[in-house]
Amino acid sequence: MDFRLTADQSALQEAIDKLAAQFEAKPTEFRGFALRGDELDKELTDGQYFDIAQVPELGALGAAMAVERLARLPYATEIALSMLVRPQLAGEWPRPLAMVENGRPGRFVAAASTILVIEGEGISLVRTDASDVEPVESLFAYPMGRWKGRGERTPLSGERSANVRKWLRIALAAEASGLSQAALASAVDHLTQRKQFGRPLGTFQALRHRMAECAVLAGGVRWLALKAADTADPGDAALAALHAQEGATRIVYDVHQMLGAMGMTLEHPLHLWTYRLKALLSELGGRGGQALAVAEQCFGR
Amino acid sequence: MHFAWDPDQQTFRSTVRAFLSANLPSDWESLAHGPASEAQSAFSKRFCGKLAEAGLLVPHWPKRWGGRDAGAWTAFILAEEMWEAGEPRGGQYMNVNWIGPTLMRFGSEEQQARYIPPMARGETIWCQGFSEPEAGSDLASLRTRAEKHGSSYRINGQKIWTSYAQHADTCFLLARTTPGRDGISVLLVPMDTPGIIVREIPSLIGEGDIHEVFWDNVEVPGSALLGAEGQAWEIARGALSLERVGIPRFALAAKMLHRAVSMLERSGRFGHGAIEQAAKARAACEAARFYSYSIIDQREHGIATGPEASAARFATVMAERAVHEFVVEHVPEALSGGEAMLLAHHQRAIVAGIASGAAEIQLNLIATDLLKLPREPR
Repeated sequence: MDFRLTADQSALQEAIDKLAAQFEAKPTEFRGFALRGDELDKELTDGQYFDIAQVPELGALGAAMAVERLARLPYATEIALSMLVRPQLAGEWPRPLAMVENGRPGRFVAAASTILVIEGEGISLVRTDASDVEPVESLFAYPMGRWKGRGERTPLSGERSANVRKWLRIALAAEASGLSQAALASAVDHLTQRKQFGRPLGTFQALRHRMAECAVLAGGVRWLALKAADTADPGDAALAALHAQEGATRIVYDVHQMLGAMGMTLEHPLHLWTYRLKALLSELGGRGGQALAVAEQCFGR
Repeated sequence: MHFAWDPDQQTFRSTVRAFLSANLPSDWESLAHGPASEAQSAFSKRFCGKLAEAGLLVPHWPKRWGGRDAGAWTAFILAEEMWEAGEPRGGQYMNVNWIGPTLMRFGSEEQQARYIPPMARGETIWCQGFSEPEAGSDLASLRTRAEKHGSSYRINGQKIWTSYAQHADTCFLLARTTPGRDGISVLLVPMDTPGIIVREIPSLIGEGDIHEVFWDNVEVPGSALLGAEGQAWEIARGALSLERVGIPRFALAAKMLHRAVSMLERSGRFGHGAIEQAAKARAACEAARFYSYSIIDQREHGIATGPEASAARFATVMAERAVHEFVVEHVPEALSGGEAMLLAHHQRAIVAGIASGAAEIQLNLIATDLLKLPREPR
């Protein structure tokens, strides 16, 4: 156990920070639900960042660090599944990836080249093109899409399905960690600048304590996500995803409460993080689904 | 960064586990019921003596004081195993964690020679005289006075919530030597000094745990002063930072959660609602564990710990809450003559956010120092 970054991990972090710098702010004029990060996607592709997990010195932990950092940006880009799940798929499955659970609209589905179709316990892979998918208007801050159910399905064995599900959980936790931290940072900005009763809102203890509790939750999610990425243990993955969804439920509500009506506008960027977190809440069976996995993996049920 | 245990760390953990299984009596869990009870205090003295002989009481202390300079990870692995077993060291964990190290840093040669060796041999119990009836979270308002009379200090006042006071040999006492925030000093006072009266406060948290301590013209020599007059904040800051992430509460919480789940499973009562609640509690324990580990890793590498230590403490409070609430809801018999260790855990868990300082103070620190929110007006 050693939590100091290795030289390679530090170098990765620096490179990603540098790349992220140009995408830190929402374009002033943007008033939409999801801010697509096509430019960011291109930069990541050109820099071969989607292959981080295959670099022995970085591995899945390096990829999770990258996912977590990039999720803090206001841009919605298909990063987590490409960095953390795609390396687990045998054969050529081009990115972007998307997940369709029980026929529901999913994140990035309309632009996906590969879809992971989850039906009950089973997972199949499908190569798609534009005619198989369609965009769906949504409040969620991801580009959402619907798969028309067409294309040849390649079912994964039970063992492979379980492995993919594990990495989907780790991807979810890493992404939720970054989103939670960015949502909190956005609320901290507001509480620092906005004055009522003659002083900044952030000086009122009723709000400070709620924010501090959220910060503790978000920090815990980060540790569990990074640990799961490093150990690749299915119990760790389930715990990380559960804590991520549990933390996000609380954090999303609280940060919106901090922002008041300002957080209801599309002018303020808060929803670009909170409405991505909300999209993650239902995935992989939601908290109930993660809890069953925890019971199976950690309580030997 | 990596999350796997090093072979040395694994070996050390196995050594501690082997020691525990060889030295804890079969009825230990019923004894662990009252960490400051007569029975456990007597047991803990014998147990700590054996730990010391095995080189497992203070391995992280310098060689000069009976340790082997083993570092923060060793100390914490030891603490995890002890706490998970119900803390058979009793109140001596404080000596090991912070009182000994504080004396090594601030003590005079005479104080070090007098107090540290008995700690390293596991022979002595200390208590901490911090809180007062009118000074809890606002510790700086404490009123207990230590007035200079010639070369002595005369102490008058009252302390409260003092753990282990009934069995303690020495008190690490905060008292006011001059008015104002900077007028507080630390005195090391033998508890058999005339004028000290200890009264137990019957409580929810176990036999012999908390006390009132009255100080009536207690006279101690000037050599009882630790460091300089008015140095209490500097001394206490270091001590409290060790104490804040000193007790691996998540370890016993996780173990008791598993025990409760096993009991429910055996009786066919581990249904849907219980599963979700248990899983969340387990996740909270793991979050607290890795938060705490991150602080230990900083200590190990000589990195100054910041507000993350407060976050680690609060994560631990949340984990304790999640587990004890799970037990109360799903295994309520634990509080009515059921499994002794589940009851003992409950009694320890309910003070997680209170003992060693109200957790709300940690939330203030997190808001200001971690989130960088503007400070509250004073």
